[in-house]
Parts: sequence; structure tokens; C-alpha cells
Amino acid sequence: MQIGQRVVGDVVVIEITGDITLSKGGDVLLKDKVQSLLQQGHRKLLLDLGNVSYVDSAGLGQLVQIYATTSHLGGSMKLLRLTKRLKDLLVLTKLLTVFETYDSEADGMASFANAKKA
Amino acid sequence: MSEARLHVTDSQGRRVVMLDRPVFLIGRRTSADLQIVSTDVSREHAEIAQEDGRFLLRDRASRYGTFVNGEQVTERILQHGDRIRLGRTEAIELVFMTEGAKTTGFLDAAASDASDLRQMAAILDGLRALGSGRVLNEVLALVMDSALEVTKAERGFMMLPNDEGELELKIARGRGKTTLPGTSFTTSEKIPREVFRTGQSRIVRDLMEGDLKGQHDGTIAVGIRHVLCVPLCVTPMSAAASGISDQRVIGVLYLDGRERSTMLSDATRSSLEAFATQAALAIDSARLYAESAEKARIDQELRMAAKYQQDLLPERLYENAAVDLAAESIPCRTVGGDFYDYLEIGERGFGFALGDVAGKGPPAALLATAVQSNFVAQASVSSDPAEAMARVNKALLRRAIEARFATMFYGSVTPDGRLSYCNAGQEPPLVVGSSGMAWLETGGPVLGLLSIATYEFDAVSLQPGDLVVVCSDGVTEARNRAGDEFGRDRLVEAMRGRHGARPEAALEHLMGAVKSFSEGTAQADDVTALILRYRGQR
Repeated sequence: MQIGQRVVGDVVVIEITGDITLSKGGDVLLKDKVQSLLQQGHRKLLLDLGNVSYVDSAGLGQLVQIYATTSHLGGSMKLLRLTKRLKDLLVLTKLLTVFETYDSEADGMASFANAKKA
Repeated sequence: MSEARLHVTDSQGRRVVMLDRPVFLIGRRTSADLQIVSTDVSREHAEIAQEDGRFLLRDRASRYGTFVNGEQVTERILQHGDRIRLGRTEAIELVFMTEGAKTTGFLDAAASDASDLRQMAAILDGLRALGSGRVLNEVLALVMDSALEVTKAERGFMMLPNDEGELELKIARGRGKTTLPGTSFTTSEKIPREVFRTGQSRIVRDLMEGDLKGQHDGTIAVGIRHVLCVPLCVTPMSAAASGISDQRVIGVLYLDGRERSTMLSDATRSSLEAFATQAALAIDSARLYAESAEKARIDQELRMAAKYQQDLLPERLYENAAVDLAAESIPCRTVGGDFYDYLEIGERGFGFALGDVAGKGPPAALLATAVQSNFVAQASVSSDPAEAMARVNKALLRRAIEARFATMFYGSVTPDGRLSYCNAGQEPPLVVGSSGMAWLETGGPVLGLLSIATYEFDAVSLQPGDLVVVCSDGVTEARNRAGDEFGRDRLVEAMRGRHGARPEAALEHLMGAVKSFSEGTAQADDVTALILRYRGQR
């Protein structure tokens, strides 16, 4: 798994490529990445999952965990470009309603901007 | 014909060659019976001829000559233990051996004052042959004491590398079989480290002399003057057979003393080196034995855990006046993260649940047990399945294990057939009715992750003969050789026409369908299923 990041305004777009699984250590990599961003003071995170082919239960647990950590610090983490497989998994585990999800980066960015106005 | 052989040490390592021809040719050319590649060795260097049961070594006009026990020869009748040198180099050594010295060959070649070491080597060889049931520490002590006694050194120690490859002191002994504290040697580690690195023995005849003085001040400080340090080398079987030198240094044997004594003689050193080879094998196999014993212990504990886990699950079959059920859980490893449970909950009827903890193996099994016992506790005090689920979620969050969660389905059936249920992220159960099927999806998110999670319940009315089929994702996500998932469609297919069937028969059919679907693949996840039948009001 590889993690890239771009800062657009006050939003950090985190681009993940590969599997988020226990066996490949992706769950821990992701956690460390998000924790370091939060420590640097970032509070608006947009996770681009368009190039993630597989998320196992450990990876899913980690997504929820970092969502909860970010929310707890007054920030928000949103998901971008879910694959059908991941969406099915979120539906099954009834976690889809927990996350804010967007199909395009523009929509995702806009949601942060709207929240600012409100 | 007599039996004899050469123990050969050269750039390829050590090996044994049988003298199984009337005339045995030694030389550099490939057709020689013993080919030795060295600039000091002529193409046809020497031969060993069998004559009247004796072995006659003849130099074949070699460029750099043939030597026996250090003396140049043109023709010599070989005696057991003779050392043959080809040319000027010390790197090549052939030791002539006759029968009767099979295990201690190298040692026989050494001087007789090392006979005790020979005995010890034979004992160690025997230990090795027996697979060495003796514990490592016993073997280490045995090796140290024998080495001290014969070399007349005052004290010694053995160092073996730890998992990170760093040398660690394993045993320190003094004369008279006494164990010394490891701290008495903290100043003398330079030499063993070097021997371990290079695989070459070191003799330091007098630490006060020569250019080592500066480097070894620490050792001199405790009054030690003479050091003999040899590597413990093991040649893997495969490498020995192929003649490739692939010696593995598994540790270091270090001896020192104040008096210049027999410990520094060449004979002592060479027999100690050979002894170290036997000791290394014994230590290596004792260590392997210890590792396999440890593994056997862990396996045994896992088997116990698996038994306990099965015992913690209720009976596979159950029935009361209104319902009957069958359940089965097959972990993909010894223990698993799936569970099922059921209980009578008074006027609210009969409660049943099936859950799955993320992950596999012992960590998942521990968490599964926690979720299961929480469920049993909460189910009996909650008014409906959604409330029970919310309580289980809170209980798990209080002891949250980071990013670990469980999924669970919980349903309760009243005697009049009302099924209330809540599904927390579990693969939806299937209701098999007389005229159709339905999925039970209402509920909330997976358990143990979100304090904000809310849970809802729904209720359906069961008719006599209706089945409720609850499975873990090990069923729907079982894969065949082509990589396809069993999926919900095949689950529906397997249950088609099963309305009214005995739960035990329906379960057997379902498990059989999953098994034959995934034939030829390894079970990737725990597989658990529970089938409940509503029998109607009696």
C-alpha cells in the first residue's frame, strides 16, 4: 500500500493505492499517517480510496477508528471514490451511514467549504 | 581388502573420501579420484595404492612435493592418523583413516593426550544421533567441563548468537564443574567476537606480548594471559553432500588460563577444534529440540483452547415447544473468531445469536469469547434485541481493543411466532418461508467501534415450518478454485425447497454445499451457521 498526500487549502487529500489489510500492514500505515497529520494540526481529511482494491476487516476497523479519532478532535474525515466492493462492505456492516462519502473530489472539497459557511 | 578413507580439508571444506580403488589418484585434473584445486597441487600429484592390505602413498613427481606428518616423502606406507600435505600450503590437509574410528576421525589424528576429548566427542556424536533429547544447557555444561578438563584451562565460556545474531554468553564454567557468573568475563569479548566473525580459531599465547596488548587491556586487568578460542561450526547435511563449503558458525568456545600449559599445544588445539565440531552439532540439535518442544507446547495449548472454545458454545442441537435449531462452527485455524449462542428469555421467548469477530486465530477467539459472554448477559436483561445490541456495543467500547470489531445478529422468537431481531453488521440471515425468502437486515453498525452507534430492531411473523438461516461471512465468502464467492444466491439456492425441513438436515445440506463448492481450496475463514425452525404454537 502507498499513501500520497496533497494539501488543497485547509483540506488534506490522502491518496491510497493498494490494499488496506492486516497482512500487508496497510491498516497501521494508514493510522500512522492520519495521526501525524492530526498532530500537525490538520483537521479536514479527504481519503481518496479510488485506487484501493481490497479492504479487510482490520482495514475497515482502522477506517472507523481514524474517523472516530478525527471527529473526537473536532475534525472531519470524509471518503472519496469508494469502489463498489468497499461500498458493499460498508453497506453490509452498516457503516456507510457513518461516513460522508463523495464520488468526485470537487464534491468532497465543496462539502468542506459549505461546512465552513454554515 | 582393507577399508580406509581420507578426511579431506581444503578450500571446499571438509569431506570424507573412501579409498575404494586399487590405485587412488590425487591431483588437480578432473579425472583424478580426488580432485584438489590449488596451484600447489600438480595435475597428477600423488597416488595411494593398495598392496597386501596396506596403503602405499607415492608422490607422482609433483612440483611441490608430498609430505606425511611434515616430512617430505616419495613413497610411504600410511598409518592410521597420518597427515598428508600436498605442496607448500597448510590449507590442504588429508588425514588417512582406517576402520574403527568412524565417529572420531579427526581426533585420532591428534596427539594421544587428547583422548578424553575423543571420548567426549563420541558421546556428543551419540547424543546427536539420538536426536538429542537432552536440554541445551546440559549439553553446554558437558561440553565446557570436558574442554576445561582436557586443556587444563582455568575457566571458559560459550557464546551463542541470539535471534538478532548478536553473541550472548550462554554458560561460563570454571575447573571442577563450577558455574561462574557471566560478569566475570565482560572484559574478554573481543576475541570471541572475532572468532565468531571469521570462523577461525585464535590462540593468544601471552596477552602481554605482541601487538594485541593495546586491544586487550581489559583482559589483562583480570590477570589472564593465555587464550584459546575456537568456533563452533556446523556444516549443513546438504552442503556436506554436495561438497560445497557452507559452514555455519553457531557459536564460540573460549578458554583461558594464567599458566602456559597443555592448553596451548598444537595437538590440544587441533583436537579441540574437532571436538568443537561435534559439540556444535550436539548444541545445534539440542537447540532444534528445544524449539520443537516449545512449538509442541504451544500446539498443545492451542488444542486446549480449541476444546474450551467448542465447550463454551452451547449444544449443537436444541429444541423447545416452539422452536428447534441446529448449529455448527468450523474454525479455519485451531481456534476461531465466530460464535453462536442461544437462551430462554422468559416471556419474551427464545433468543439466539451468531457473531463474527474481525480477524482469525487466538486474538479473534479471545474477543469472540468476550462478545459472546456480553451477549448472554445483556440479552436476558434487555427488553428487545436493539437494546441488547446497544448494551453489547457499549460494553465492548469500555474495553475497546483498537480498531477491532465484531458483527452479530440477535433474534428472539415468541411462542406465537413473532421474530424480533437486530442485525449489527452481520451477513443478513435468510428467512425461508413456504412461499418465498427474505433477508433480515435491520439493525445498526458493527459492534465495538462507535460510541454514537444506534441500533434498531424489526419484527417479522414466522409461520410453522419457516427456517431462519444465520451464517458467518465464512459461508457466503467461501471461494471455489476459480475464485468465485459462494454468495447469497447460492445460499438461496441451497435453501430452496427446504421449508419445513429439520434444522439438522438443512444445516447438513448447507455445510455440504459450501464444502463441495470450495473443494480443493484451503478454508480461508471460520465457517459458522445456525438454522432455527419455528414449529408453531402447541
